[in-house]
Amino acid sequence: MRIHRGLALVLALVMTVFLAGSVSAQYPTRQITVVIQAAPGGVSDITARTVASLVEKELGVPVIAVNRPGAAGALAMSYLSRQAPDGYTFGYVPVELSMVRTLGYGDVGPDNLDLLAQAVSVPAAVTVRADSPWTTLQDLIDYAKANPGKIRVGNAGPGSIWHIAAGALERATGVRFTHVPFDGASPAVASLLGGHIEMVTVSPTEILPALQAGEVRVLAVMDRERSPVIPDVPTLAEVGVPGVVVSGWGGFAAPKGIPADVRAKLADAIAKAIQSPEFAEMAASRGMTVAYKPGEEFAAFAQEQYEMFAELIPALGIVQ
Amino acid sequence: MALLAEALQAVFEPTTLLYLLIGVGAGVLIGALPGLTATMAVAILTPLTFWAPPAQGLAMLLGVYNSAIWAGGIPAILINTPGTPASIASTFDGPAIAQRGEAGLALGINTIYSVFGGLFSTLLLAIFAFPIARFALRFGPAEYFALAIFGLSMMVSVSGKSIVKGLIVGVFGLLLSMVGLDPMLSYPRFTFGRFELLDGISFIPVMIGLFGVGEVLDQILKSREEQTRIIPRIGRQLPTRQELARMGPAALFSAAVSAVIGAIPGAGGDIASIICWDQTRRLSKKPQEYGKGSIEGLAATCTANNGVIGGALTTMLTLGLPGDSVTAILLGSLIMYGLQPGPLLFRDHADMAYVIIALMVLAYVAILIVGLGASRVLVRAFMVRKEVVWTAVLILSTVGSYAINNNPLDVWFMFFAGILGLVLRQYGYPLGPLVLALLLGPMAESNFRRALTAAGDAGAWVFVTRPISLILLILAALSLVAPIIQQRRKARQGGVTVQP
Repeated sequence: MRIHRGLALVLALVMTVFLAGSVSAQYPTRQITVVIQAAPGGVSDITARTVASLVEKELGVPVIAVNRPGAAGALAMSYLSRQAPDGYTFGYVPVELSMVRTLGYGDVGPDNLDLLAQAVSVPAAVTVRADSPWTTLQDLIDYAKANPGKIRVGNAGPGSIWHIAAGALERATGVRFTHVPFDGASPAVASLLGGHIEMVTVSPTEILPALQAGEVRVLAVMDRERSPVIPDVPTLAEVGVPGVVVSGWGGFAAPKGIPADVRAKLADAIAKAIQSPEFAEMAASRGMTVAYKPGEEFAAFAQEQYEMFAELIPALGIVQ
Repeated sequence: MALLAEALQAVFEPTTLLYLLIGVGAGVLIGALPGLTATMAVAILTPLTFWAPPAQGLAMLLGVYNSAIWAGGIPAILINTPGTPASIASTFDGPAIAQRGEAGLALGINTIYSVFGGLFSTLLLAIFAFPIARFALRFGPAEYFALAIFGLSMMVSVSGKSIVKGLIVGVFGLLLSMVGLDPMLSYPRFTFGRFELLDGISFIPVMIGLFGVGEVLDQILKSREEQTRIIPRIGRQLPTRQELARMGPAALFSAAVSAVIGAIPGAGGDIASIICWDQTRRLSKKPQEYGKGSIEGLAATCTANNGVIGGALTTMLTLGLPGDSVTAILLGSLIMYGLQPGPLLFRDHADMAYVIIALMVLAYVAILIVGLGASRVLVRAFMVRKEVVWTAVLILSTVGSYAINNNPLDVWFMFFAGILGLVLRQYGYPLGPLVLALLLGPMAESNFRRALTAAGDAGAWVFVTRPISLILLILAALSLVAPIIQQRRKARQGGVTVQP
């Protein structure tokens, strides 16, 4: 029995070696898994699942989504970095890829993964109540300068991208806010509507209902371009604060070391999915900007962001 | 009301009704299996609804949501294991009723009062959506803290025989709830350097372990008796007129209170049903039965956990703010359909707002029919030998706790919680305070610190200078002191009767 098993093992190994070349040429021959770092139902999940279904059509094999939430996505991303680099596992990577190592939530960064493509971008929107005295960003900054710490800014949690957005604005304009972390962006918005805080820096989607009802005012978006969700709102640079760009983004990555031909096929299918009309429709409905960047460019951008956060996060006093 | 009638007409067509029934059916399965939650139920079905027209897609999602919360009460009653966290309080009285041979009645109460709570809060949504939502917005950090303290004060009344034992378990639960990232500074606490622990100990695996596995292990140790079945008889299903009259006040109170609690973002069926259980006990003529198989207690919890749904939908539809993970997914689906929830929804898409209300009504009609029709089958499924039930619970607990996050560590949590549940049961420690602490500890802590951060110079005065917060804190103090005074009074009266 033992001999038989040993023989089978040797045979399997030999077969693997022989077939390795042709396997990658035929890729894909079986089901592909996409690892999602967030719980089902959220924006990351919908983005990843939309791409998964389009990649499935393109490559002709099932693409199965697996959610592994936890530690701001660090669990899923380090899990992804440990998977076999055979092209049968890829994953969604959000802006937290460039943050979690500095935050101490996990030992994974842009250098641990092979980045395939950026898909979306969501800017931070500097939002105040409509009945507040501030009608422009300059009003807000002037008030904040005269009254340090008086403006309470709600964010989606300590060390979240929206916390860092408010922190970056603080640093660029030389003012001091009181940061109030909430458990997610929508409790922060609820608190703004209830008058318990003065300002939030969250995504345009989150404040859209209140904005349409005339209950809040968006003073600026922290991006290079205006947001298609709220096209009337100027960018920070337009209102005199250049060089501060903080946005949530998301893209796709694979474990490092996948064969070049396999990588090309997978990255190509993902790129096609991101640039499809179906994806554009989904992104628009969720208030995201489609921001396709090919692998190398995405990797350079993620690394640049990594360095920015490595400096910003400790300056905000989040990391000990 | 005319709009509602119109909407009812619009949804009354075969395809929509079919989708609704599929949703309700899926909800029964997912809700009744411990570990599979209403959130998962809605998340799993959401992708299936994208290609359907809005009314049909929403029929399926609202069907599965309401049905999963209702069905969560079924295992809570039959095997003392809540199917979803919203049914935790249904384990206080449900199993005792089933074990005394009235399983049918317990399930009947679950169905009837879930439907009552759901319909009542839907009606409130249809009439008072905006005032309720405005009230919910008045909850700032100070009010959330006071609400959490009010909930935590019920530790004493869910302690059962020994308040001291209850408090020991409760404080232990508060300690466990501290594991993970500090909510304000993001500093890791008690994580032993493990990234998996940064988000804290997952609540659902612990709940499944404490109730499901703990109960099974306890029964195995006790099972020398001749009885081979957990559920002895089905019995009648419908309550008598007197019983209905007895449960009426408790159900009405719970329906009204839970609709408001549901509207407050972040406060859901778990908290609402515990609060309603405790408060209706104070109103009851037979408070001594609570916790030992009181039909009033069961009716209150079953009303409350479905009663929050109308409230949660109110906030989501009128303000565009999701109060919990289920409404967050529903919000996403509405946006997909081009219906942006928010104050303008009722102006620009009033027809759709009323279609949603009409679908809620239909979902509850379906639940009533399915619930009363299928409960004999459900009870029969559990009337097999004990060993079969035990094996099934252990398998489902393992699968369920892994399925939450696809994280093997959660299975370990479930397992250790099971051992803990056994030890606590064996030594007569109550589970209620532990669960309460795990649920409300994080809410109390983060909002306490959030309130102080936002208060600035006002400092801790913020908790007593704001009316809602002050009232809740006074209620909390009363519910802490009341049981102790009652005990004293009883002791004194007892003393008097002994004297000749």
